[in-house]
Amino acid sequence: MRTSKKLLPLLLAAALLLGGCAAPSRGASAAQHKVWLVAKSTDTAFWLSAFGGANAAKAEYNVDLTIVGPETEEDYEQQNAYIAEAVEQGAEAIVFSAISYTENAAAIDAAADAGLKIVVIDSDVDSRKVGARIGTDNVQAGRMTAAAVLDTEEESLCVGIVNFDLGSRNGQERELGLRQALEEDARVTGAYTVNVQASATAAQTGVEILLAEHPDVNALVGLNEPLAVGVALAVERLGLSGKVRVVGFDTNVQCVDLMRSGTVSALIAQNPYAMGYLGVETAWQLLEGQSFDPDRLIDTATTIISAENMFTIESQKALFSFG
Amino acid sequence: MKNKGMRMNTLLLLSIIGTVVVVLLSAMLLFFQTYRRALIRNAETSGQRTIAQVSNTVDTYLDDIDAVMNTLYTELEAGETARTEFFDAFLRIRPDVIAVSTYNGAGGLVRCYALDREPLRTPGSNLSLDASRLEAEPEGYVSAPHVVSLFAGYYPWAITMVSPVQTNQPEEWVALDISCSNISDYINDVGIGRRGYCFLLDTDGNIVYHPQQQLIYSDLKSENVELISTLADGSHVEGSVIYTLQTLDNERWRVVGVSYVEDVIFDSLWELGSILIIAALLILAATFLISAVLSKELSRPLQDLAGAMEQFEQDADNFSYEPGGGTREVRDLSESFRHMVLRVQQLMGTVRQEEVNLRKTELRALQAQINPHFLYNTLDSISWMCEQGKNAEAVQMVNALARLFRISISRGHELIPIRSELQHAESYLQIQAHRYKNQFVYRFDVDEECLDYLCNKITLQPIIENAIYHGINGLVDDGEIAVSVKGEGEDIVFTVADNGSGMTAEQIDAIMSKERSDHAGIGIKNVNDRLKIYFGSAYGITIDSVPDEGTRVHIRMPRVREEAPYENK
Repeated sequence: MRTSKKLLPLLLAAALLLGGCAAPSRGASAAQHKVWLVAKSTDTAFWLSAFGGANAAKAEYNVDLTIVGPETEEDYEQQNAYIAEAVEQGAEAIVFSAISYTENAAAIDAAADAGLKIVVIDSDVDSRKVGARIGTDNVQAGRMTAAAVLDTEEESLCVGIVNFDLGSRNGQERELGLRQALEEDARVTGAYTVNVQASATAAQTGVEILLAEHPDVNALVGLNEPLAVGVALAVERLGLSGKVRVVGFDTNVQCVDLMRSGTVSALIAQNPYAMGYLGVETAWQLLEGQSFDPDRLIDTATTIISAENMFTIESQKALFSFG
Repeated sequence: MKNKGMRMNTLLLLSIIGTVVVVLLSAMLLFFQTYRRALIRNAETSGQRTIAQVSNTVDTYLDDIDAVMNTLYTELEAGETARTEFFDAFLRIRPDVIAVSTYNGAGGLVRCYALDREPLRTPGSNLSLDASRLEAEPEGYVSAPHVVSLFAGYYPWAITMVSPVQTNQPEEWVALDISCSNISDYINDVGIGRRGYCFLLDTDGNIVYHPQQQLIYSDLKSENVELISTLADGSHVEGSVIYTLQTLDNERWRVVGVSYVEDVIFDSLWELGSILIIAALLILAATFLISAVLSKELSRPLQDLAGAMEQFEQDADNFSYEPGGGTREVRDLSESFRHMVLRVQQLMGTVRQEEVNLRKTELRALQAQINPHFLYNTLDSISWMCEQGKNAEAVQMVNALARLFRISISRGHELIPIRSELQHAESYLQIQAHRYKNQFVYRFDVDEECLDYLCNKITLQPIIENAIYHGINGLVDDGEIAVSVKGEGEDIVFTVADNGSGMTAEQIDAIMSKERSDHAGIGIKNVNDRLKIYFGSAYGITIDSVPDEGTRVHIRMPRVREEAPYENK
């Protein structure tokens, strides 16, 4: 009896407490999270689509989202400045796409040390403090590029690769996958890389240099959106459409037009909208206490779009944004 | 008994609270179930109302497009210049129309009117017209969403409405590419419940417009189109989702409302639920308090009673019971117990008294007995004295014997004055001194003030007898027996001392605990018993004995003046 005399009021108190605690906890965290998206650029179709996805997640999760990006895809210093600014402005998480695998690392570490959650999308950074990684499996995308290049009757292939800054992780991974897959095919006689700034103009110059040095190049690859556009434009301008196979990255409308006109053979379509959306969504989830394995990439689907299948409904969905 | 079974108030408390909890829970469960059903029905109704509004709006929009089509039929009959002017103006006021194209019977593009855009001369695949459907659907059709592929560098998503047309040119079909922008603005704003939304589905299961279309195209979201397509118009609860469907007037599109049971339930039920839970907890708390007080009130008197009974069990003599409070039943019980206690104590007193009386009677009967050997021996001695002519001695002996018997009988009184008891002892000693040929001497040392108090008769004689038989008899030297009477505070102490052979502890124990085996006269145990019966356990005989030195027997009793109170005890 002595125990039950003590126990019962305790139970009662516990029950009351439970009832009291349970009552107000509805309507997932009212507090709006402040998230910054630091992109590699702000004017490519790729990034515009990613911003579209980010904004969709922003609306869905009621996130206070700020989107910034440097003018050129080489300006990692500007990115570092944005990261520092985000910390200063009281952001709780940064969704980040690194221009430089190495040069952005310190800034990201500093931000993580300041308590911010870091979500990497598209392009990785050399930091152990990243909360989640989202984007294309770039080695695999490189292999898909090779598959697109090799999807031809041509008996021998000499591949010119127009890649962007050496410091960018995803460009290097794509080239790695591409070269691995090319080496497995006997028809490939050579593969030459030229590294240029990530702009269509630079890419055109790059193509000219490549063709001058290696006149036997009969397939060209542009490993991101502006490079793909540049490569395609150069091939068209040089009157090599149909003679040189062009495989590009991403879904710039110019590339689509040039694919219709026969200059571009295939495009590797990433899913930037998903990257933007998942980036912000994951940042929100991290802030809500979920955790992810940063060493396991959350892979956004990548598809090969060829001139032949470009207007199937799946390709339409991959190529053209709904607006 | 103590460890087994439950205490009454615990039992009461548990059963009352248990009942209340069960009743509360089932009532709440019932209420929640009913309320939930009502809420879902409510949600369905409001969903249907919303969907009806959306349907109306989309229908109106489609009517509007029909009206546009009709205008187009007329305008297409006009000449080339007039057409161009018209379409230029038309496309400007209708930004939702991306392009108007006309096709020949085989599906070849004849004309395409678009604002500030020229169609590609060789579009390759034209997604705006599905030539394969034309034959099967002579009345025209509405396409699933697709990208307009008529232009370079411009690939908007659109829905195409295809209708047959009669013009003065080789055109048989007109196709309208419409963006969903007009509908989207409206549909995007529709909310059902907290997270609900609606979208447009065509009868082939294609999503015409969805507020999250790009998320669906990017494989980030999905709708269970296969399931939804099989549902009839109206509301359907599928798992935790409520689907509300309505087919539009054109019979090709359906408006689908999606809302979540969870939202409906939680938004309204949560508030109510928390109030209910608090109320339930309060009720429980009140029940707990009331039942605790009640059970305590009920059980405490019973516990008291139980305790009293236990006490009574342990010490029935000195127990006194005052009935406590409690309910009437408990009071009755207590009262009965009180009566019982009194009765039991009375009975116990009676029994004890009867026992004492019985014992006294027995003892008295023993007292009345005279050791026949003693009598014979004495009479022998007297006879012998007479024969020897020792008349004076014989007279002395006869007198002593007579005094002995007179005092022994003493008219049935148990208590006699100490004076008489001493005479009795002296008579006995006289007789025995003769019989033992003056083997011993005796003396009395008596405190005069004690003589008038009373004592049990035949107290000294058995002890003197013991002193003679076990102490003096067989002693070579002269024996001595000293009898003393002394007042000691409230008590009087008799001492009988001899210088005989003494007794061992075993012998002392034996004479203190056994009746005499010869059934002749009164033993020391008898004396001791009588003392204790009359005066209590504090009184009685103690024996100090040192072998070969002698024995001292002390008899302690209170100072008694009157026999009466002891006699009746």
